[in-house]
Amino acid sequence: MLGQQKHIKHMASSSHPSAPCAACKFLRRKCIQGCVFSPYFPPEDPTKFANVHKIFGASNVSKLLNEIAPHQREDAVNSLAYEAEARLKDPVYGCVGAISVLQRQVLRLQKELDATNADLIRFSSNQNIIMNPSSSSSGNALQNPNVLPPHYGNYSWNYNPN
Amino acid sequence: MTLKGGTTQACAACKYQRKRCTPECALAPHFRPEHTEIFKNAHKLFGVRKILRILEKIDPSQKTEAMRSIIYQANMRDRFPVHGCLGEIYHLQYQIRQAEKELYAVLSQLQFYKQPRQQQEITLDSPESQQLQLGMGVEQSANGLTLFQHEQQFVPVAAFFDQSYSGNENRNDGYNNSNNNSGIHFDSKENMSNMGNDGMWVQQTYCNENDGSKTQLVNTQPLTIQEEVTHDYDEIYPFFDTIDDTQSYIDSKDANESSSESSLKETTQSVQHVAGNKLKRAELQLGIVSEDYQATV
Repeated sequence: MLGQQKHIKHMASSSHPSAPCAACKFLRRKCIQGCVFSPYFPPEDPTKFANVHKIFGASNVSKLLNEIAPHQREDAVNSLAYEAEARLKDPVYGCVGAISVLQRQVLRLQKELDATNADLIRFSSNQNIIMNPSSSSSGNALQNPNVLPPHYGNYSWNYNPN
Repeated sequence: MTLKGGTTQACAACKYQRKRCTPECALAPHFRPEHTEIFKNAHKLFGVRKILRILEKIDPSQKTEAMRSIIYQANMRDRFPVHGCLGEIYHLQYQIRQAEKELYAVLSQLQFYKQPRQQQEITLDSPESQQLQLGMGVEQSANGLTLFQHEQQFVPVAAFFDQSYSGNENRNDGYNNSNNNSGIHFDSKENMSNMGNDGMWVQQTYCNENDGSKTQLVNTQPLTIQEEVTHDYDEIYPFFDTIDDTQSYIDSKDANESSSESSLKETTQSVQHVAGNKLKRAELQLGIVSEDYQATV
């Protein structure tokens, strides 16, 4: 615990030794050593804290951060900042709107993939019917379709019409 | 728990705050008395005051939707304290990338099967020319043209991929605006479009070397498949209504799988229909090609 505090203190003091963090500046309070916000809300980015405070409140955020291990707090703050920004842009859906769009996209791709797979099965079965020896009048070169790529003669014919 | 002198139960919000739940309570419609855990999560992340502030700004008709999204967001934060909803966004973006890769692979394979079908139709249309074609095919193989053929084989696939996904990207403008962290996903699309451009360049050289009728043969396939893609997207639209069920979506894939399975029959039917059209078009074009060929001979 002591080491964690030292780590936070180091981060806070190394970035801006004298300036209070964006949170303390916003809340107009003294930025004490070991301030839970200072490593994650630098003074040069005041909107990050303003957004988070507007949507979740500083008290809720500090409670959340205290429940999380220090090495994960930065990720937590960044995700909260993202969610707050999304909620400000879209008060009705927030970041859930993006999730919904992505879920639709996944479903659409899944459906497209299923259809393409079905198409592939159909084409490959058609291929077998066409390449059947019953159509052996098509020539000697296609007697064994597994040996030659099926498109073999087509392009060579296209490129050299003579 | 009933209120003094009241007949109705207090909502979960009022119950938690131990205050009287009046008929005007703004949170009562969204937090039923038994949903204490749900309210606790929302209270922990947002707090009652912030929730009410969000609801104040919103049109009354959208309040239910807003509360659903707030509850979903709070539940996600409760389950994943570090990443919350953002973790789910990353996960979905990963799923999309994987599905795109898989789709690209299947399309490449499909393209491989589609080309011989044209070849076979040519041979059926003009049995006289078929022996010449096949003979030349065997000869060319000895001249090391297989590498070039291989390159050509993937040109239409790349072009198709670019076309279809640039179309989808246009439809997702809202997502682009709302989600700043979606860079990874759309970057991958940009890469795909670059691939498509490369493909188009190869196709152009192909254009210069050959007469126009044969390039039509290559270009028509992507366009017909693209129609199919558009229909599929339109069909999925109603899913947007099920936003708050997304949590169950994460845990159990059954619902999605069953929906995709049920839709598979529809899509295969549409695929068959489109394929029928494609056959007709291919026959027409191949007729032109065989005429051209006869003219050149």
